[in-house]
Amino acid sequence: MSARVKRDELDRIARSYSLDATAVESLLDAADARPSRADRQDFLAGCARHGGVLSLAAGIVFFVAANWGRMAVFGRFALLELLFVAVLGIGLFKPPPRFVGRAALFLSFIITGALLALFGQTYQTGADVYELFLTWALLGLPFAIAAQWGVASAAWIIVLDTALLLFCGWQPRGGLLWVVFDGGRLNATHAILMAAFLNLALWFAFEKVEVRAVPDWVRRVALTCGMMFVTWAGVLGVTGNDFGGSSSSTRAIAFVGAILALAAVTWIALRWRRDVYPLAVAFASFVILGMVLIAEAVDTPDEASLFIMAFWLIATSTIGGRMLVKLMRQWRVETA
Amino acid sequence: MTVAALVESLRSRGVIAADAPPFAHAGHDRPWFIALLQGAAGWLAGLFLLVFAAMIFEPKTTTAIFVVGLVLIVSALGLYFADRNAVFLDQLALALSIAGQFALAWAIMKDQKSAVLIAALLLAMQCAVFAVMPNKLARTLAALFASAAWIYLVRLWLRPGNGGVDDFFAEDGLHHAPLMGGASVPVGWIATWTPLVLATWWLVEREARWMARGAADFARPALTGMLLGVTFGGIVTEPLTLFALRDTELGIPFNLWSLFPLLSIGLALYASYAAFRVRNPALVGIAIAGALLHLSRFYYLYGTTLMWKAAIMLVVGAALLLGARLLRRRESA
Repeated sequence: MSARVKRDELDRIARSYSLDATAVESLLDAADARPSRADRQDFLAGCARHGGVLSLAAGIVFFVAANWGRMAVFGRFALLELLFVAVLGIGLFKPPPRFVGRAALFLSFIITGALLALFGQTYQTGADVYELFLTWALLGLPFAIAAQWGVASAAWIIVLDTALLLFCGWQPRGGLLWVVFDGGRLNATHAILMAAFLNLALWFAFEKVEVRAVPDWVRRVALTCGMMFVTWAGVLGVTGNDFGGSSSSTRAIAFVGAILALAAVTWIALRWRRDVYPLAVAFASFVILGMVLIAEAVDTPDEASLFIMAFWLIATSTIGGRMLVKLMRQWRVETA
Repeated sequence: MTVAALVESLRSRGVIAADAPPFAHAGHDRPWFIALLQGAAGWLAGLFLLVFAAMIFEPKTTTAIFVVGLVLIVSALGLYFADRNAVFLDQLALALSIAGQFALAWAIMKDQKSAVLIAALLLAMQCAVFAVMPNKLARTLAALFASAAWIYLVRLWLRPGNGGVDDFFAEDGLHHAPLMGGASVPVGWIATWTPLVLATWWLVEREARWMARGAADFARPALTGMLLGVTFGGIVTEPLTLFALRDTELGIPFNLWSLFPLLSIGLALYASYAAFRVRNPALVGIAIAGALLHLSRFYYLYGTTLMWKAAIMLVVGAALLLGARLLRRRESA
């Protein structure tokens, strides 16, 4: 799809040539700046379709969360499993790339999570919440892949990152991840770095192997989640507020790991010369780490650290914004 | 299509003269995530500058706070006019402007007892900032904040609380009769959203006209700001303390009127449709994210059983899928 002229440029063209209303109508038509009636109907139909699937998914999740106490355990499981089999059947009968197939497999993914929640709730297995999400991500992966749909891929990434966030944030003692990151040789800081590098690896892999089921915006979701963990690790490295104490080696690992991740993302983006979004996210992380560093370094007076942080924000966002726009225009010309 | 190709196309259509000078590419295009980065940085810097100014000058009286705010805003205005093309000055000006607006808002809220008057003054302030600031991002933010002030104005007028700044953030635990009884909710919803929806609809419909009149510098940010207000404004239509996860306070009792906020999802979807009509994919995405946010609010906010909520979502889902099918049939007919 070719890039359209942006609205700001259209405004400037209209002003520059003093176009009247009729001429502006021609300008907007020539620039394909207004969707046709068919396009608009298509958009509304798409919104209704996607909204319908999400509403159904939300309804199913609410239904399970209601903890329908009047039904026996067997009944609850049977209902959910019948629903699961039904949507899976639809997915197999009308497979992707048909929308019905995609939606059905997406719902299969959602119901997997609902089933696991019901299982954990019913049998009080003692599993932590992160284990629910992690198991959901692992068991739901085949459905997310089979759906061949960006929405399903994004949902899978969000479920996986919720599991990682819960593990890194609450440090529960148990489950699969605790086997590795038990606070002995590897601790929470390592877990955060692992989560960061996992997301970045996913982003890198999907950028390299362009899969239709993982479009641009889903890759950006993975990258953004990764950079959130990177920023978290960096903040821990600077502040030293680790969960299990602030040993200097842990802080150093966290800080160095964060800087390496930022450098890697920046280097890859500059090499590919395709999209400035990775640079923008890396830059945002850098700005946040800089702020935290200033807050740590400038002890007193408070006014000084506030002023320096304000100046840091203005200067970095201005310089960064200018560089990013310049690179964007350069790469746009190169790929045109 | 590039700008150059578009201008050539206009020449060949006879829209502009064949000998019209070539278009000077101003190069002010910024993707949404860069605008977001700079906007967020400006916002945060504004807060830091305000606290800094408060610590240095220690304004104690309302007049002193007001003067500090005014000085900051006038400084921002000066920076904007100093050099329109310098991005650095733009960012500094935005930070000072935001800091000044916070100071003025503080001065307004400090001694005022009437929450309605506070909301009205804040709305007037944002309208003034919108009119005066020669910067697109500043105007967009002003339009967004003006929308929020309008929402609060209608809400507080129809459902007065104890008066004063607390009404913006907490219920005082006392019952205050709404102005129009039970009808306050639907009347409030209509009064709040009708002007915003009509204004944005009109701006989208009449785009060619205001572009031709050279009003794009005002209309474009007004449209974006108001659409953002329509997308997220539903959040401020309920007291924030009801967005609680405590067992004892899980929202208002369920009745037919409490379905009205479900319409926040509809408003966000309207905003996405309007954004689609002006080919703004970033705003479409933000509006859809807003709709999902309102869905999660529905889960937590309204004190009814989850079975009712599940039933509502299933019915809504089925209705939407049916609607999609009917639209597709109409398309192919």
